[in-house]
Amino acid sequence: MDSVIKAAVVFFALWAIVRITGRRTLGEMTAFDFVLFLIIGGSTQRAITGQDYSLTNALLLVATFVSLDIGLSLAVVKWPAARHILNAMPMILVDNGDMLTGRMRRARVTEDNILEAARRLHGLERIDQIKFAILEATGEITIVPAATGSRAVPAPAP
Amino acid sequence: MDEFASRHYPVREDMRFQRRSWMVERAGWLLLASIAGLGLTGVFGMGPLSVAQAGSGPLTVRYDRFQRATRTVEFVFTVAPSASTEIALHLNPAFQRDFEVVSVSPGSLRGRLGDAGYDMAFARRAGAESRIVIWARPRHYGLSRLAAATGDAAPAKFWVFVYP
Repeated sequence: MDSVIKAAVVFFALWAIVRITGRRTLGEMTAFDFVLFLIIGGSTQRAITGQDYSLTNALLLVATFVSLDIGLSLAVVKWPAARHILNAMPMILVDNGDMLTGRMRRARVTEDNILEAARRLHGLERIDQIKFAILEATGEITIVPAATGSRAVPAPAP
Repeated sequence: MDEFASRHYPVREDMRFQRRSWMVERAGWLLLASIAGLGLTGVFGMGPLSVAQAGSGPLTVRYDRFQRATRTVEFVFTVAPSASTEIALHLNPAFQRDFEVVSVSPGSLRGRLGDAGYDMAFARRAGAESRIVIWARPRHYGLSRLAAATGDAAPAKFWVFVYP
């Protein structure tokens, strides 16, 4: 019983912490963020397992974590309102070539982050070549390029 | 169009909810920073606010008032000088119920465990102050009301809170 309760407490505590750190951390994971998540995993692992390294305990923990994960995914499907709370919601950061800087600041996304996504996904070079940049619920930035005809001329070489 | 107005293409936004999310996020950051800050003070154990002392006269005890489950902590008993060559230390039943004694230094001459708690006897040098250290591990979480006494003197009463 103790293992299941501990696993559930850790699951929801970690979910809350990851949720309040914001999507920036999830989608655009830096090397430091990666190390941070490794440390979080290591720190919580001992608290959950304690002195009990038995196979039974391991199976109990895995079953609890997977059940809770499935439960949350079912809740998202059944109650659309829960989707926003559990998974956040997509948000437009560039609208027809205009950066929505207030939103970007609050979401802790920089122009460089958007340009990086634009280069990676579509080979775009400038903000005015982007029709929409969207911060997805997963934390990734997706890009909808402006129509070819409306693209600005390539930037001149320095 | 207002930057913070909800747009419906190419994704359906709810900027009212988004603003609330940002507020909750900021409050969460503050909470996390507060927890880390409080950790430095010792409210969660092992810090200045955690170290405490109880009793006076013949017996004082230094201990951590905030402890954590599974972590071994020490209780340091200081017994005032007397002409006797033996110390009789009594710990109340709550100590026995809530803590598992891991080690005692110096080793006791005798020990007895009963409904009234632990009774231990230690050798001492007459006329010198003595120090007895008990390392113990909490058996469970929550509040423990402990008491220790030596001889017929009034017991030193103190409490300990054990975090999960």
